Amino acid sequence: MQNKLSFHQSSASLEIIGLPDYSNNENKDQISIISQWKLTIVDKPLIEGKIEHLGPIMDAFYIYSNLLIKNEIPIYKSKLIDIKADNLHIHNIVLKSSKPNVKPLVLKIGNSLLSDTINCFDQLNESPNVRIKTYVPKNIPQKLRFGLNKKAKFFNFFITPFIAICTLILFSSSFIYFGNPFENIEKKELINPD
Amino acid sequence: MRKSYVTNNIKLNEFDALIRITVEMSKYLYPYIREILKSKEDFEDNSVIWNDFNKRFIELIKERFNIESVRVKKLLNQAENDEIIIKYLLTLSFCISNRGYQKLKNFLYDF
Repeated sequence: MQNKLSFHQSSASLEIIGLPDYSNNENKDQISIISQWKLTIVDKPLIEGKIEHLGPIMDAFYIYSNLLIKNEIPIYKSKLIDIKADNLHIHNIVLKSSKPNVKPLVLKIGNSLLSDTINCFDQLNESPNVRIKTYVPKNIPQKLRFGLNKKAKFFNFFITPFIAICTLILFSSSFIYFGNPFENIEKKELINPD
Repeated sequence: MRKSYVTNNIKLNEFDALIRITVEMSKYLYPYIREILKSKEDFEDNSVIWNDFNKRFIELIKERFNIESVRVKKLLNQAENDEIIIKYLLTLSFCISNRGYQKLKNFLYDF
């Protein structure tokens, strides 16, 4: 008897079917050996595939969503899936079949469906009943990040007076080329001592 | 960017608390965030929600932010602010899970 778990978010739902790893003394409700998965998005064709495809597809969605937010060019390409932004609101997904002579499945989803799908994957990642290895966004240690901020603050503290002093030096150095009027008067007095 | 003459440096625990509040609010408001994004996708048929949101957003910016700042002017410019608003809404909508706090924190560090 296989276990079935479903994760729903508004217009998207993800279904995972599989078995627990009894050799690892796992609970009977656990899924560690996934046999089937289905991603259903309302008004879009059903997405399903081999178990080894789920991880890369989730990774693709996570990496693409990170690129989208970080103001980088939102394009993800792999052997299995391509995702790119058509515009600010529509994302073009091409799912390539591993079987020969099968046309790729092309989907266009909006921002709302993209966030629903990401949230379904998040629920799966966070579920204590399923074990799956996926991409995890990089975690930068707090101390390091705040260390960098401190360096930036230190730099900002010195950069303003540094620029101000440089400007003063540059501005005042141009006056070197103008003659000193007092010096000229003294010279005239020396020429005409009367 | 704020309408304030006092510059307070935020402490680490205050920063964490603000992120936690933002994530909890995003979870609660996700259906609305989603509808705003959807409204912009089908703008010709369903522009009311986006227009209402954008109007209120601009009102709040004018009320609370220093409108002389160049960055704030960019937020007020309707031709330029669509992309910024959509990215902020998407960021919030991606952070509604139980690990949303860590996700939002990572996104903010990378801005």
